[in-house]
Amino acid sequence: MMKKTLLMLLFAIVIRPACESDAFGETRTVTGRDVMVMEDERPDGNDRTSVLKMMLINKRGSKRVREVSSYSKDYGKDTKSVMVFDRPADVKGTAFLSWEYDDPEKEDDKWLYMPAMKKVRRISGASKNEYFMGSDFTYDDMGDRNVDEDTHKLLGEEEVDGHPCWKVESIPVDSDDMYTRKVIWVSKEAHLALRAEYYDKDGLLKVYRVLDFGKEDGFWTSRHSEMENVVRKHKTVMEFSAMQYDTGLDDGLFRVSAIQRGRVR
Amino acid sequence: MKWRTGLFVSLLVAAGLLGGAPALADEPGWTDRVDIDGWVEGARSVRIRSPYDALLSRLWGRLKLSADIDDLYGHVSVDLQQNWKVEDETGFELHEAWIEYAADGWDLRIGRQVIIWGMADGVQITDIVSPPDYTEFITRDLEEIRLPVDAARFRLLGDTFDLELIWIPVFRAAILPSADNPWAVELDIPEDVRVTTSLAEEPEVSLENSEIALKVSAFLSGLDVAVSVFHTWDDQPAMHRTVSRNDGEIDIHFSPEHHRMTVLGLEFSRPLSDFVFRGEVACYLGRYFEPESITGDPSRKNALNWLAGIDWTPGNDWTVTAQATGVFIVDHEQSLAAEEHALSGTLNVSKKLLRQTLTFSNMLYYDFRQQDFFDQLKAEYAVTDDVRLIAGVDVFGGGDNGGFFGLYRDNSQVWFKAKYSF
Repeated sequence: MMKKTLLMLLFAIVIRPACESDAFGETRTVTGRDVMVMEDERPDGNDRTSVLKMMLINKRGSKRVREVSSYSKDYGKDTKSVMVFDRPADVKGTAFLSWEYDDPEKEDDKWLYMPAMKKVRRISGASKNEYFMGSDFTYDDMGDRNVDEDTHKLLGEEEVDGHPCWKVESIPVDSDDMYTRKVIWVSKEAHLALRAEYYDKDGLLKVYRVLDFGKEDGFWTSRHSEMENVVRKHKTVMEFSAMQYDTGLDDGLFRVSAIQRGRVR
Repeated sequence: MKWRTGLFVSLLVAAGLLGGAPALADEPGWTDRVDIDGWVEGARSVRIRSPYDALLSRLWGRLKLSADIDDLYGHVSVDLQQNWKVEDETGFELHEAWIEYAADGWDLRIGRQVIIWGMADGVQITDIVSPPDYTEFITRDLEEIRLPVDAARFRLLGDTFDLELIWIPVFRAAILPSADNPWAVELDIPEDVRVTTSLAEEPEVSLENSEIALKVSAFLSGLDVAVSVFHTWDDQPAMHRTVSRNDGEIDIHFSPEHHRMTVLGLEFSRPLSDFVFRGEVACYLGRYFEPESITGDPSRKNALNWLAGIDWTPGNDWTVTAQATGVFIVDHEQSLAAEEHALSGTLNVSKKLLRQTLTFSNMLYYDFRQQDFFDQLKAEYAVTDDVRLIAGVDVFGGGDNGGFFGLYRDNSQVWFKAKYSF
């Protein structure tokens, strides 16, 4: 199974959904797992670049803005990624490098460059349930989650904003997972999750919505989306720009020496 | 007011950054290649022991300008400070000014720059390229304790191995608090002793007095490891004495002098699950150690500095870092002020709250032999994306029989900072 990185998912997928594949045709019954596999393996090029702007909006409407430039490249089934923080100003230049391996037995390698400290340090895998930069997305929401970490059930077909979708229920295999279940609407055409609901033991916790999507360089991509925590009345809006696929990113970009320079380009 | 811009750096800036501008002025996107940012910070403290006065009272700003011209990159940062407690700090200062050329497989950075080595936090083992600034002892943010050096740094960059060669033609000493700085250490001088001190003797600028460093680093799956050698000058001078006795009184003249030494280093970092294990060892060949007696003379010894550390990120925005560190002096003599094997440790615990806008952290330094400590507890709140308020307390204690931290027990303080970043 193709393994996607945090950056890939930030750029293109975001939520773990399900969708159809041409390979199954009209006559075959699509299962929930089939949808998830199709979504997971949706083409997204060998490398990708984007700028992500996250707006964190609280219940009083006040905003905080985070901006990240991201680059990622596939090496077989492994992926290397670099993320550089542009905003807020006090973390500007902070860079995060990760080498993520398809082999589940092999631990990912991660480094963080802190411009104030002028040094790179090894970091361990952040807790998957931790929230990314204070947003409403956990690392697990955005990261690579193996399809078989959940059991999937096709609930039916529904439209989301006029787009035909499959509706899939995903229940974590691990009973300690922070969610008890997810319901995901996946576009039949784009194989993108257009909506997702996250439930915990107390009920509905978060709702994810794609507000704009389309093809970029021939690849289906989410351009504008939001995650709303309905319990805490907090929302994170994500906008992608400068999206590019298959530009032939230099391998040198994904070395520790590149982020050690204090700039990535 | 001070203005420490050397000719070397000035030429660099003029030729590298400003000189490049006209040639490219008509190219579209030039403004995208220039980046200006920085910060302004106000800070004030009050001692929590008599006389309850301010140890820290300053307004400090840093302006950073970066320009990018294809494979050439330049950076200049300038400090402007008004310091009401340490007057020497007031004024302009060139912090960094360098240009860098990045090619495929190598890069070269020339100019005034901060170079940080090592895996340790707040402790220098192999990380001795940029000397420390102890103007406010170690109460400053760690990043503001380091001084830039005028250097050329060349790197050969491979997929997993890097080779780094550093040449420092101009020696720069550590800054130690002196004169009316409240962090200056007063010598305990007997009544019948008169002391005079000359200015520290620093190496002249010459090719043979250059400092040179070589480091080879490997970034492997699950392991970072590096070995290094640094032929340098000790950033802190040895306090040589000339002792004379007249009519029952003792005259001591201190002649501070920086000495050559060579440092062999080894460092590694290894992540495992939620942990990262770190270690450093540095063998200091030919370092001078101060004597116990005021009339003694420093002795040249070899010493082994080591550090073992662990970072733990258990989740929910908790971070715990613990380090043990030691200095072992080979062929130790009882006449030395330092023990044969000094042992100390640090413990840092931090927790982020309110969507990571509020951070509580506590950093403890503890000397196991002297049983003295320095503890900094602080809370940092991001009022907006650009404005942070930080409040903290620095407590020094213990060390009834001596000890570096205990010396400062009267400098325990509460402090407040406001920082605007742009």
